[in-house]
Amino acid sequence: MDKALYTGMSGAMRSMQAQAIHAHNLANATTTGFRADLAQAVAMQVSGDGLDTRVLTRAAGAGTDFSQGVLQETGNGLDLAIKGEGWIAVQAADGREAYTRAGNLEINPFGELLTGNGLPVLGNSGPVSLPPFEQMEIGLDGIISVQELGQGAEVMATLDRIKLVNPANADLEKGADGLFYRRDGLIEPAAAEVRVVTGYLEGSNVNIVDAMVEMISLTRNYEMNITLMQTLQENSEVSAQLLQVQ
Amino acid sequence: MHAALYISKTGLSAQDNRLTTISNNLANVATNGFKRDRVAFEDLLYQIQRQPGASSTQDTELPSGLQLGTGVRTVGTQKIFTQGALQTTTEALDVAINGRGFFEIQMPDGTSAYTRDGQFQLSADGELVTTLGLLLEPGINIPENASTVTIGTDGVITAVVSGTGTVNIGTLNLVDFINPSGLEALGGNLYAETISSGNPQQNTPGQNGMGTLVQGALENSNVDVVEELVDMITTQRAYEMNSRVISTADQMLQFITQNL
Repeated sequence: MDKALYTGMSGAMRSMQAQAIHAHNLANATTTGFRADLAQAVAMQVSGDGLDTRVLTRAAGAGTDFSQGVLQETGNGLDLAIKGEGWIAVQAADGREAYTRAGNLEINPFGELLTGNGLPVLGNSGPVSLPPFEQMEIGLDGIISVQELGQGAEVMATLDRIKLVNPANADLEKGADGLFYRRDGLIEPAAAEVRVVTGYLEGSNVNIVDAMVEMISLTRNYEMNITLMQTLQENSEVSAQLLQVQ
Repeated sequence: MHAALYISKTGLSAQDNRLTTISNNLANVATNGFKRDRVAFEDLLYQIQRQPGASSTQDTELPSGLQLGTGVRTVGTQKIFTQGALQTTTEALDVAINGRGFFEIQMPDGTSAYTRDGQFQLSADGELVTTLGLLLEPGINIPENASTVTIGTDGVITAVVSGTGTVNIGTLNLVDFINPSGLEALGGNLYAETISSGNPQQNTPGQNGMGTLVQGALENSNVDVVEELVDMITTQRAYEMNSRVISTADQMLQFITQNL
């Protein structure tokens, strides 16, 4: 039997895996600060006897699309979006420093500044903690100023500064929890040039048109591979008939 | 089976949740003191098929592994406590809070609930109650023969009683929470304290960051109709795209079962 059946199968498998990546992107088309995953294929040559005609394929992650999402106005003082490049530093569930673009912040009863999914936002030294306040403002560079409870607007105090970082995209990788980490496990120093705007959130950067077109092309690719397998099946049926004793 | 089927299913249920929230916001566009909800999404965990950073040879490493995401999840809904527009009604017992704070309401079971809906009425005993007939905490009793009731911006209530003149009949206090978004919405414009909202802090209106009271006005819902409608459109399109992925994945499975 022709082993080309396995070549067809690897093509179909790869289409399905790439389809899963696009499905994940489309499912997150409205997730705040989401960064789309890219898919690519790698050729895998099978060497052996005879001519090298067998090249299988395998899905490979191609990292993350780091382009900007669209800023959406929310008017909420605890929402912040990063203008241009940069990341907000948060403390991941395992205590490591992670980076996110999702700036929908909240304050818990202990005055800690948290992200929408409950992770502490990091400041100059460790997680940001706020006293009871009347008014809080986040400045362009992440500076948090607070008018403490019972005090007038003239005693607006600068408390802490949200740690904003700007590592090279090549240094970052997406963790299993969807947050970004430095590849080498080091801690990125704060970057003074990163700017934030309050009252805005950054949408997902998934290019939906691209993802839909990619899905169609993957479906056709998948069908071609299946048709190839079908042809091979017919071939082997015919050769079995040839050998049949009349 | 095809992983994309289940991934898109998470997308569909997330958009479903979002539409439910939008429809609730729109249904309450004219509810006094209503605060709109917002849904927060997060991407589900990733399944690592090949570890990024693993060595591909002794000297080189894989620049990126193969991580398959598993979809999206609704982390929660967040009440947005921005101020609603004040609407003048000239009704003496309508009170709006201009700024932070809640009125404390005594529930029938003795616990406290909190509201920003200041459309008060009088009970048969002359007590100030909400539209649902629940008593304010502390209770305010308006004398039977009072003609004019005045509520000051600091919550002091005075009434002109025939024969006695102007008398002070009580004070409307406000309470506040460090994290109002953490309050549990009970329905009926009421909220209950939770661990994440923090403890209620009672204060005089206009002091310690509390809002001032405005008599003869009501706070409208803070739902922005245009924003909700735009959200509804994006929700619908996102829903359609996810269901398109499901039908595509289904076609692929159909193709293989029919042709092999």
